[in-house]
Amino acid sequence: MSAAAIVDTDPVSQPTASVGLSNRFAWLQGLKSPKTLVGLIILAFFVLLAIFGPIFAPYDPSSVSWETLQPPSAAHWLGTTQAGQDVFSQMLYGARISIIVGFCAALLATVVSVVVGLVAGYLGGLTDDLLSLLANVFLVLPSLPLAVILVSLLPKSGSAGIILIIAITGWAWGSRVLRAQTMSLRRRDFVEAARATGERTAKIILHDIMPNEMAIIASSFLGTVTGAILTQASLSFLGLTSVSEWSWGTILYWAQVNSALLMGAWWWFIPAGLAIALLGTSMSLINFGIDEFINPRLRQANAGTKAQAKARRAEAKARKLGAVGLPTRDKVLPPEDHPDSSVVLDVRDLVFGYGVGDDATVAVNHVSFQVRRGEVLGIAGESGSGKSTLANAIARLYRPAATTISGQLLYTNAAGATTDVLTMSDEELRRFRWDELSVVFQSAMNALNPVLTIGTQIDDVLRAHRADMTKAERETKIRELLGLVGIQSDRVRAYPHELSGGMRQRAMIAIGLALDPEIIIMDEPTTALDVVIQRQIIEQLIRLKDELGFTIIFITHDLSLLMELSDTIAIMYAGRLVECSPTRQFYQHPVHPYSQGLLRSFPTLSGAKRELTGIPGSPPDLRHLPPGCPFAPRCDQATERCQEHKPDLRQVMVDNTTIQVACHSLEIPTQPKEDAHVQQH
Amino acid sequence: MRVLLRRLVFYVLTAWAAISLNFVLPRIMPGDPVTNMVERFRGRLTPQAIQALRVLFGQEHSNLWLQYVDYWKNLFHGNFGISYAYYPTPVTSVVNGAIWWTLILISLCTILAFVIGVSLGTVVGWKRGTWLDALVPVTSFISSIPYFWFAIIMALVFSIVLKWFPLSGGYDVWETIGFNSSFISSAVYHAILPAVTIIVASIGGWLIGMRNMTVTTLSEDYVRMAEAKGLRKRRVVLAYAARNAVLPSLSSFAMSLGFVVGGSIVTEIVFNYPGIGSILFRAAQSQDYPLMQAIFLVITVMVLVANFVADIAYVFLDPRTRQEA
Repeated sequence: MSAAAIVDTDPVSQPTASVGLSNRFAWLQGLKSPKTLVGLIILAFFVLLAIFGPIFAPYDPSSVSWETLQPPSAAHWLGTTQAGQDVFSQMLYGARISIIVGFCAALLATVVSVVVGLVAGYLGGLTDDLLSLLANVFLVLPSLPLAVILVSLLPKSGSAGIILIIAITGWAWGSRVLRAQTMSLRRRDFVEAARATGERTAKIILHDIMPNEMAIIASSFLGTVTGAILTQASLSFLGLTSVSEWSWGTILYWAQVNSALLMGAWWWFIPAGLAIALLGTSMSLINFGIDEFINPRLRQANAGTKAQAKARRAEAKARKLGAVGLPTRDKVLPPEDHPDSSVVLDVRDLVFGYGVGDDATVAVNHVSFQVRRGEVLGIAGESGSGKSTLANAIARLYRPAATTISGQLLYTNAAGATTDVLTMSDEELRRFRWDELSVVFQSAMNALNPVLTIGTQIDDVLRAHRADMTKAERETKIRELLGLVGIQSDRVRAYPHELSGGMRQRAMIAIGLALDPEIIIMDEPTTALDVVIQRQIIEQLIRLKDELGFTIIFITHDLSLLMELSDTIAIMYAGRLVECSPTRQFYQHPVHPYSQGLLRSFPTLSGAKRELTGIPGSPPDLRHLPPGCPFAPRCDQATERCQEHKPDLRQVMVDNTTIQVACHSLEIPTQPKEDAHVQQH
Repeated sequence: MRVLLRRLVFYVLTAWAAISLNFVLPRIMPGDPVTNMVERFRGRLTPQAIQALRVLFGQEHSNLWLQYVDYWKNLFHGNFGISYAYYPTPVTSVVNGAIWWTLILISLCTILAFVIGVSLGTVVGWKRGTWLDALVPVTSFISSIPYFWFAIIMALVFSIVLKWFPLSGGYDVWETIGFNSSFISSAVYHAILPAVTIIVASIGGWLIGMRNMTVTTLSEDYVRMAEAKGLRKRRVVLAYAARNAVLPSLSSFAMSLGFVVGGSIVTEIVFNYPGIGSILFRAAQSQDYPLMQAIFLVITVMVLVANFVADIAYVFLDPRTRQEA
């Protein structure tokens, strides 16, 4: 029971509430969204109504008169009841009881759930087992019937009793959510540190854990307020609260008892229900803002799709205007434009960006390179250099949605026909994917669907692309694929969680090979594995490549791995390609200062011993790149020129080998003298 | 299947807790409920009825343990005492006459609302960023409406103004209850308005939960990979995104179900539907404690069984829970 909650599949344990003191109230930023603002305004209105309403009430809500069942008029804004009472005055008085009961009950329930949730989550063990059991029992007991029983046993307790009863029936959910969150926080460094310094448990819970759960506590409180107001209304409607104490539920009770519906007295019951619904909506609107803070994926999804929708609209508009700004490209290029059919993928000036305004990030910045059929291109760089984004861009897997895309991605199939991947229609893209290009993702655990067997996940590919295959043929093919990567064919029916890490990665490769694609993109496929397994998989991969003859684009930060594996190495820095050379050449004479730094920071398995020095500084913020060479601030060879002008990627001859490099230190590349100059570095 | 066994043990424990709560509560509350009730009925109660009350509410003999044993014996014999609201009908008969109406209405509505809500939630989540997002605040408004008030509005519009559906009852009074087509069609006709009310009022919670989970799931690597595999959209949405996104909805079924059941029984009152809600209303009016506690127990058992069914569905849908560990 206790293990389930730490697993990250639980949506509530994912929030990454910042832990720094200054960020503890960052969730309040969520309140700035328009939805939340509307919610706050409605809430403020009702709170003011609860405070001042009775002062402005034109009549005593209980005083009877001869004006019975009057529809709304100037004298009675919301009409009158069968006893001639003023509904508007009843509403104003009712706001006070409904809101006080709702907020007090929710406050009490939240206090209980915070105490239970934090204590259970932090202490664990038997305390946790017992408290969780208690919470789970209360969670499955239907709360309204339970409240009815309790109220009927406490008939004369008034609002205080109702508050107590609603709190008793409503605390369990919040405590469960908070328990899960506490369990994940308990393992964080700052809590571990506090524990190590011998701080008292109560102090850790109050000072280190609780402040980081304020967003969840607030969200749970607001949800409980809605629940409490609804429960109070239901209990009043059943006639279980004091029927002479005006609340919105009591108004509805009298309307029901006096058959207001049959008499067509809509003004009697409509305002109360509407008020309850509006108040509840205001709570959920406020919670939208907080939820988006707690679950960043919701926020990203919204931001991304808005940008995407905007881009779509702009495109549609441009098309209407006669497509002035849009380049119309031929999808299939004539062969003469593409003389070299040994090039399987020709990336031309690819730009790829996310976000808008201050957050705008160009993750792939004017990148061009070519991949030859059957070769292994290794792309290396630090985290955040844009190498994974580049992989996603080639497969056109944009998430969150990209806001700027330009350039060309020319793919030439085995028959020699060339198409631009960026201009493919959805259906063309669907056919292209996996049949021509497949992807092996970084983490097999996350990339394999946890609820489908390995066999089914391969079968899905075959069914989508090979409609003519029979079930038996697919079955044979699946077993053959698994055999190819060294998985016993009886694991066809295994689910991802039943396989070891290495097995899962092999399964990923098997899925990648399913349609015998031309290109396989491998995005850090072995990073999460231990060295022995990593070696086995890489060796198997090389063997398979030689057998089947596919092209590999291998993305990693592990340069020594690329040295063994790849034919060509491309180095990325801050979204740009800074060097691209044949592997041997790169190893012997790295030209770009960044490449040199990278090589200095990795030990190689073979070759001369040398000092590992690394590169000073850290990668730049892609949102605020310097005007000149992005590497200049960390470069020991940078000149004034480097600070001001971005060097372009250009071809140079080094040691009689053509390489590409973007560095001002290679200004006049055509002259042989430069070679000597280069070698000095 | 050890997961299910553990859940079963938990539900039995919860049922035991609910029943014991019913035993303990009247005994710890101030005053003697039996004396109160006897007084209220001013000698109309037969000695047997008073005896039955004593067993249910105590004070017959001081040994609590023996009282507890007697209490359980009574439950096993289906003896919940005499109802005051429907005096002198035994509580068991009153409940038995109403439970089937509620059971059929609520279980059908819950299943329908869950299926519709989850399907719509998947679509809205998948098409995030389009006009469908406007459904989210609308549904949160609808799910903040008290069920019974929504019922009143539905009755006003469809029974009183448009006169499409009957205003109250579960069937036409001249029909004989039984398995005959005219009774069934009459019952269905009467059930439409309450059913639509319950479905519409409870759909919002499922929809928003599923929408948010779908949006969250869409950024999972396995969905990205499904797209990279060139699968058809339908397959990506159903087998990769929705299939995973529905799991939290199923596991939060317990809390939502209690809420739906509570709302539904109050809805019955508005439509004067011959189910548990209407007898609960009358029991509450006349402080009929024996009837109320029987209703509480019956509803609790219904909810526990429904939860167990949801657990079975969960184990069926999530292979990770089937792992023996």
